[in-house]
Amino acid sequence: MNDTASPASGSPASGSPASGSPAAASIWRTARLVAGKDLRIERRSRVIVNQVLPFASLVMVLFAFALDNDEVLQRTAPGLVWLATIFALLVVVQRAFAVETADGALDALRVAGVSPPGIFLGKSLALAVQLLVLELLLIGLAVVLYEATLTATGAVLLVTTLLPATTGLAFVGTLYGGLAAGARGRETLLPLLLFPVVAPVLIGATRATEAAFGVGHAAIDEGWPWVGMLLVFAALFGVGGTLAFGPLIEE
Amino acid sequence: MSERQRPGREQPRQHEQHEQHEQHEQHGNEDSAHVATTQTPLTGPGSAATSPVGNGAGTGTRFTRILGALTLVAMGVLALFALVISPPDVVQGETVRILYAHVGTVWVAYLAFVVTAVSSAAYLWKRTSSLTWDRIAGASAEIGVLFMAITLLTGSLWGRITWGTFWVWDARVTTTAFLFITYIGYLAVRGLGGTHQQRARRSAVVALLAVLEIPLVHFSVRIWRSVHQDASVATGNTDVKLDDTMLFTLLLATVAFSMLYVWYVLHRQRVLHLQDLLDDKGLDLALAERRSEGRPDASAAAPTTAASTPTATVSAASTVPTKDPVS
Amino acid sequence: MDHAGFIFASYIAAFGGSAALAWYVVRRGRALGRQLPDEDKPWI
Repeated sequence: MNDTASPASGSPASGSPASGSPAAASIWRTARLVAGKDLRIERRSRVIVNQVLPFASLVMVLFAFALDNDEVLQRTAPGLVWLATIFALLVVVQRAFAVETADGALDALRVAGVSPPGIFLGKSLALAVQLLVLELLLIGLAVVLYEATLTATGAVLLVTTLLPATTGLAFVGTLYGGLAAGARGRETLLPLLLFPVVAPVLIGATRATEAAFGVGHAAIDEGWPWVGMLLVFAALFGVGGTLAFGPLIEE
Repeated sequence: MSERQRPGREQPRQHEQHEQHEQHEQHGNEDSAHVATTQTPLTGPGSAATSPVGNGAGTGTRFTRILGALTLVAMGVLALFALVISPPDVVQGETVRILYAHVGTVWVAYLAFVVTAVSSAAYLWKRTSSLTWDRIAGASAEIGVLFMAITLLTGSLWGRITWGTFWVWDARVTTTAFLFITYIGYLAVRGLGGTHQQRARRSAVVALLAVLEIPLVHFSVRIWRSVHQDASVATGNTDVKLDDTMLFTLLLATVAFSMLYVWYVLHRQRVLHLQDLLDDKGLDLALAERRSEGRPDASAAAPTTAASTPTATVSAASTVPTKDPVS
Repeated sequence: MDHAGFIFASYIAAFGGSAALAWYVVRRGRALGRQLPDEDKPWI
């Protein structure tokens, strides 16, 4: 922890779980501290803002070059938004764990006795915040570049879609990012592991966004079942990740 | 699960020496003692380079030899029935013959992935934790991936004739493809290196996450396709009316491929055992041995020069993390 | 036989793939078995 020189040095205190408070409270405290640390690192380094957001915007422009047809772009705008999100997810996850492995910070956290579920939830939270900013930018770009239209009720559905979809992506990203980070420099494996898992999110979020944008005469109501599916996905991987993260980063 | 010292590992089995060694590492004993322990069997029977240590026995036993012979016979009979004896289908004609290979392999592939998941859970469960489970999981996944590939290939060939297209975005087909990719990823995770325990824990987690992932993929693809009502080629005209011979052939295919599966997992699990053992024992013996195969009198000078061969680099890389200061 | 090419391709893949894997594992087992004493092979 110390060698990252990050201000979250309060976390060793949370490493003693049996300090009277229930374990759950300790986990949440760790999660908040880890998330705060990650977001502070981002605020100071601005890697996401200066590199990942431009990259994602570029992907949106490249899609337009490849598809080369206004109607097709309008039709496929929801899918392209989520495809660009998933590409960017890869970069963000690698960044999130490059921060940890560079100085052996993950090992240090583990040795310090910080609870793995707390680390998992904290990193997921920070990742989710970053992804949410990214998605809002991409949706804005879709409106500008691809002529996607958004009504008031559509916006409600869209926001409701974003939350579970982003949470699910963040959980999965943290889980497999931690796996690849433990393997030291085998980041090429990450897309192979990650992309099959996020396929349900791509399907669900794209359908819900289609309904929100009203693409292909989709009614708003058609979007809500997909939101339910995204919720199930996020819940399952939230629980699974919390349980699995400990054995995964333990060495 | 996160405890480093597992109660269940306190009594290592007698013959699995390397598990004892690994335990030494885990408990953070000094390296010199560890090296000394691993080296004893090497220096015991004299210079390893001059006299071969093993008598050349492979991974076969009487049981696997009998099973292997029976599998060969079953495969031969299967080829006979599938390609010659069984009649063409009323609707599909000769095309139905592809399905015998298709159904046999897909059954074994799914069986293999179930076995992988169960063995991974058994590894992670403290009371049954043993690297044998990990090796069974790995061996099972390997043959599962191969059979999944055969399944996808035969399925698309069959689909090309019957539906006029190699690929259908049907929930079952898509899930199978995802399963295939997921287990390729699983095998890649197994190859990441690190200690045997690291490999086992990592891959077991990935295998169990796959159990979570696959139903979700299947479910989402199914409702996705039910929303889009197009391209429903897979209806009606592909019913197979099975007569007794066809049913028997189908059963035979399942049995024959299952026998091959058991045979393979037995062998492969032993090969992985030997591989782990060799990794533990260090490179010296293996290299000296390999050299002595060519020149019987090339002896002790081997290790220094041999360290530059590819095998040496690979094994060295995989053994470095065992000396991780944090564990 | 109709579609003989497709049918034979299927069976060549199925039997050929299985045989290749089986051959590989036996060969690998022998190569590794030669480097280790029989005490290390609990199945013997």
